[in-house]
Amino acid sequence: MNSTRTTRVRARVQHQGGTLRIALMLAPAMTVVLVFFVGGIGYALLQSLGYQPFIGRTDLSLDAYRAILDDPAVRASLGLTLRLALVGTSLSAVLGTGIALLIHRLGRSRRWGFALMQLNLAVPHVVGALAIGLLLSQSGLLARLAHGAGLVGAPATFPALVADAHGFGIVAEYVWKETPFLALLALTALGRGTDQLGHAAQVLGAGPLQRLRHVIVPAVLPPVAAGSILVFAFVLGSYEVPYLLGRPFPATLPVVAYEYYTDIDLSYRAEAMAIAVLIALLALAAMLGFLALVGRLARRAT
Amino acid sequence: MLNRPVSLAAVVAAAALGLTACGSDVGARDAAVGSSHTQDWGQVVDAAKGQQVNWYMWGGDPTLNQFVNGYLNERLRRYDITINQVKINDTAEAIDTMLGEKQAGKTRDGSVDLVWVNGENFATGKQAHLWACDWAEHLPNAKYVDFDDPAVALDFGVPVDGCEAVWQQANSALVYNSQALKAGDVASIESLLAWAEEHPGRFTYPAPPDFTGSMAVRTLLYDTIGGPKELTGPFEAKAYEDAAPRLWDRLNAIEPTLWRKGETYPQTQDQVEKMFSDGEIDAYFSYGPGAVGDKVSKGVFPTSTREAVLAGGNIANSSFVGIPANAAHDDAALVVANLLQDPQTQLELYKLEGTYPGIDLSRATAAIRGQFDDVPLSPSVLPLDELLANAQPELASDYVTRLERDWKSNVLQR
Repeated sequence: MNSTRTTRVRARVQHQGGTLRIALMLAPAMTVVLVFFVGGIGYALLQSLGYQPFIGRTDLSLDAYRAILDDPAVRASLGLTLRLALVGTSLSAVLGTGIALLIHRLGRSRRWGFALMQLNLAVPHVVGALAIGLLLSQSGLLARLAHGAGLVGAPATFPALVADAHGFGIVAEYVWKETPFLALLALTALGRGTDQLGHAAQVLGAGPLQRLRHVIVPAVLPPVAAGSILVFAFVLGSYEVPYLLGRPFPATLPVVAYEYYTDIDLSYRAEAMAIAVLIALLALAAMLGFLALVGRLARRAT
Repeated sequence: MLNRPVSLAAVVAAAALGLTACGSDVGARDAAVGSSHTQDWGQVVDAAKGQQVNWYMWGGDPTLNQFVNGYLNERLRRYDITINQVKINDTAEAIDTMLGEKQAGKTRDGSVDLVWVNGENFATGKQAHLWACDWAEHLPNAKYVDFDDPAVALDFGVPVDGCEAVWQQANSALVYNSQALKAGDVASIESLLAWAEEHPGRFTYPAPPDFTGSMAVRTLLYDTIGGPKELTGPFEAKAYEDAAPRLWDRLNAIEPTLWRKGETYPQTQDQVEKMFSDGEIDAYFSYGPGAVGDKVSKGVFPTSTREAVLAGGNIANSSFVGIPANAAHDDAALVVANLLQDPQTQLELYKLEGTYPGIDLSRATAAIRGQFDDVPLSPSVLPLDELLANAQPELASDYVTRLERDWKSNVLQR
């Protein structure tokens, strides 16, 4: 009796000590998250509501939100930003998964494909954007090759692929950069025993389509979907690529936000922050939507 | 320390004596400084001995930094003065420091002695009474400065009032490929636009608020309303609303002749210059025509690159040095400001990186003028006298920001 009690007490003490220890060990990381993430978003939210003590404004209002929703630059930007993020992400996801399946079928030379996919991971987006510009602009490499082949005369006769109305150059950069990333995620998932599962299914009489649906897709879908959410959120908030390859109007939300932020009239910071909050909300909504969709798909696939 | 507050007054008072002789209104100036000392430049130089000038300046130009720490310090040795260059990214940082000290009630022994400044930052400082004033006309080397020149008397529309001394000038020009445009095409805005109509897609300007794009729009504005006269001085809504619609009409009318039919504009001046070097366009406006010779010699631009000042003149701005009212070493700062206006110093800077002189060369000696002429000039670059002959002042910064904003809704988003 006595000994049972002692054990229970000791267990409770150990349990509490464990919690405390875990809390202590997490503290540095949590501090960073709290200060920079929660604190940063909180301060952005405050500033978007008009809290700007540095110019003597402390009363809160939704004026900045009303102003940005009335601004034709923001309105045009909203559709463009969502379209670019959606097109860029879906193209990368489809291409990435396709390439992963191809490399997976290579068998022993798979390693080379795997290494190839990692090549551009370390290249920053800004370098990618500059490279795409050099490649696709009307005086770029492609245009010069076309000129050399006698296909086009003056630079202006080459189709506009950069700073074009559809954001072709921007999408091209995201696809170039994100396809290998998503392909790698899919490849990693495919490596974990899907071969044996596939063989087992084959032995049990499953055809290629059935194996794709019941073995490959359930393995690949979760990581590729999770990666796609990352890509989508990144593209929503990315500045340098649309700035370098896009147009001044319509520009994506981050470009418009930065323009507000650098206005010499400090009071426009509220609008800049309101756009930043809008981007964060869009990313959050996209993530929740994605998760719900993937959950449904995964349940259907199994 | 005793004679510290005296020095600025000394120059002013010395000048006041001179001005009395000229029958000018001296009373107001005296009152502004609040001193009855009558001392001369020699006493400023004496007081400056052994001081170190904390010069807050943009530090992004290695050649210029070398000039400040090498050449200038060398020449200041005989005054027993040294420069401590405080490199900043944006002049607003210096203004912030000065504002902070003023708010903290630090009216003397401030940490900033000299600031390289113009435009918005000068206006902010003047509004907050951060600058020492009424001294610039009284530097010994001020005799080389043409104070009637609007580019020197006004700083982006704000009267200088002796609160800063001119140092450099930046002049705009049209850069063009002489194989595509003939002399007649670059005679005026009118002929340039007529050429663009015959050669659609070969001319453009970066979208404001890009600094140069904003200048290009103002160049077209001046041409449309017959020069900057109507808009001189502080912002007036009526004058603006009278002038702007005419500009928007014209800019919209030329859109079909521009690059990409004016459906879009380059984001930056860098992009415009890259398009010129790639042969996508044949002409563009530049605020740094001095650097074009270098690009031609490096093969970035074609050898047929030339520059022109169109009829109606070219927009120019000056940059200055200002001395905070609470500067700890204002005597030495005055000596440095004076040295910067020395024709020999201006020549050195012109030789080093083609920086245009802030002083009026016609007031310098023939020998100095000869040395300026002897600096080798690329055939692509305009000689100084042509660039300076018809320089036009900038508008008040309120006009500038308003034009940049309205350009977006009236031209870009249409």
